[in-house]
Amino acid sequence: MRSGRILVVAGKAVAVAALLTWSLVPIAFVVMSSVKPGQEIFAVPTVYAFEPTLEHYAELWRRWGQFFDGLIDSAIITAGATALAIIASTCAGYVYSRNSSRFLNASVMFLIVVRLIPPIVVTLPLFPLVNIMGLNDTHIVLMVLYATFFVSLGTVLMRTFIDQIPRELDEAAQIDGAGRLTILRRVIVPLAAPGILAVAVFVVVFAWNEFLFAFVFTATKAKTAPLVISEMIGSIDGVDWGILFAASTTQLAPILIFVVLMNRYLVAGLTAGATKG
Amino acid sequence: MKDKVTFDITRRGFLGTALGGAAALAAGPSFAQANTLNILSHRVHQAVLMPDGGENLLAEWKSAQDAEAAFTTFDSNPLMDRLFREASLGSTDYGVGYMVDNRPTSEIASLFEPLDSYQKDDPIEDFGDIAPGLVQGMTVDGNLIGIPVRHATQGLFYNEALLEEAGISAPPTTLEELVEQAGKLTFTSSAGTPVTGMILASDLAVFPVMFARAYGGDFITKDFELVPSPEAMEKGLDTLRGMFEAGSLPRSYATTKNDDMVTWIQQGRAAFTVLPFARNAQLNNPEQSKYPGKIKATAFPGSSSLPSGTPMAAVTEAWAMVVPKNAGDKQLAWSYIKEVSSKRVTTGMALNGNGPVRVSSYADPALIEKNPVAEVEAEVLATARGAFPPFPEAARAQATMLEEVQLAVIGRKPVKEAVAAIIERVKPLMPS
Repeated sequence: MRSGRILVVAGKAVAVAALLTWSLVPIAFVVMSSVKPGQEIFAVPTVYAFEPTLEHYAELWRRWGQFFDGLIDSAIITAGATALAIIASTCAGYVYSRNSSRFLNASVMFLIVVRLIPPIVVTLPLFPLVNIMGLNDTHIVLMVLYATFFVSLGTVLMRTFIDQIPRELDEAAQIDGAGRLTILRRVIVPLAAPGILAVAVFVVVFAWNEFLFAFVFTATKAKTAPLVISEMIGSIDGVDWGILFAASTTQLAPILIFVVLMNRYLVAGLTAGATKG
Repeated sequence: MKDKVTFDITRRGFLGTALGGAAALAAGPSFAQANTLNILSHRVHQAVLMPDGGENLLAEWKSAQDAEAAFTTFDSNPLMDRLFREASLGSTDYGVGYMVDNRPTSEIASLFEPLDSYQKDDPIEDFGDIAPGLVQGMTVDGNLIGIPVRHATQGLFYNEALLEEAGISAPPTTLEELVEQAGKLTFTSSAGTPVTGMILASDLAVFPVMFARAYGGDFITKDFELVPSPEAMEKGLDTLRGMFEAGSLPRSYATTKNDDMVTWIQQGRAAFTVLPFARNAQLNNPEQSKYPGKIKATAFPGSSSLPSGTPMAAVTEAWAMVVPKNAGDKQLAWSYIKEVSSKRVTTGMALNGNGPVRVSSYADPALIEKNPVAEVEAEVLATARGAFPPFPEAARAQATMLEEVQLAVIGRKPVKEAVAAIIERVKPLMPS
């Protein structure tokens, strides 16, 4: 009996170790290679003991200044898209939660269907349209697109969170003379904050790393960091792997910290409504 | 909770904000400024003109035209995608684009300005000095649509230190010697590194085409003849198959990419590879390579069975500057092209690592001193040509060919059958 339990525990430990290895080894390789001397990155046999160097980061700074401009653009776009997605999702989630009609129920299905459309399908037809509107190569176009792609998921998430807030609170506020917007701002938003943060995590991770829309709709003024990284994997002049890994680590760090900090909200978002009876 | 919160939205306020926002959006993005030439290129095209800490080769043009050059850069395939999309719009802000020479089909060429009349009215300095083969590559349906600006011609790179270690005193001069040397160089080096004789990427047409040409064959000729000599193609693939069997090509051949070739040769994991001569500096970069100064280049050799005097035609790829038909200030674009094509700038770019399109650049003493492979590159360029000519289904034709080549090389299909399949499957994709 006891040996059986030990086997179960050992099995779980092995499974967790395998999962961690699977997920962390590529990240560890990138981070380690970013501080490894260039000659030793792909050396065979693999060099495990090396003198760390920040040389690749210095080179990144010196030769790829546009990468850091790209990080700023990524940050602006991510912040804008997240704000837009949160506002739209919260408002829509509130409506879906507190109202019911045949049209609304059908439109939930529509929201889900929208998520099933591959981005490339809408990207190319949008290109001339965005161009005509003069929005090409602006932060705004990416903010709107990123937010649009997450409003559906965000709305469903927010509805689930808001469903858990007793309607009596709305009614009490209404009796005190509050309008819909006031109720949303003063009652719903504070209580649904974990849901808002969960939506934010999804949008931030997506917007920070997104490539396709950024590639199609930007050129110089709103060029995001992933686009600059893609240029580093140059097919003409070769890849400077040390610099590429330094850029990847720099790109990865803020989002990793953000996700770790927001981890519990992410879990809450994923399990929202799971125990609803 | 605070006692009182006001959040008033009136219809008028909302409408005003929305209209104001829309107006700001409409007015906000202004892309092209007066006397700014927007250029769509690869980063390397910009870097050879304006190197970090080096002379800005566009300074004279900027001053003469009172203009700025604003580069938007992408990697090769995304760049082509973007260039063609921009050229398909009603108008574009880009005055000049850089196009690779395996792309201009008749349909694509029709999106770009024929440059013959510009050349006639305001000619480029000593135009005849630009390699005629490269100019021919950018002439579509009788119209010159691009001015060559860079070429990447394939050479055979070898690790001199490994050759010496294996007792080989000189690089091969025939394909048979190459195969033999690659066999000898499949060993464990004194550094303890397992060495593979040769590394080639399996996803690029360049290599099977070079091996077929080494026996006098080809994949698709410039006159659109498909596999003109099946026997030569079979011999080429047989050679690759033999090398794979002998371990002179990596076991991972089917998944080997271009970047693997660079890292393997830099790390001493492979003794030979085929890359553009322009990679010489990178392969010998002491910060990346374990063999700085020891990676040398020579011409890819033809088979000894080739009739005497038959040149081995290495694969070359060229870039050219084009002007979208829907561009704004085409005269400014032409002035840029003229400047970049001048002897001074061509040689200046060559000193910064660009493959010069002018024959005269190779005679420049500074280039000869700076680039140890300049001389051999010039020789190879003289007979080099593209891997295959551009046509609408070229990408599918290449993918089909590579599929069959991979099966043959790793022994999943007899070579003869693979060559027959290439002919059968690619034929329907050929232009009528």
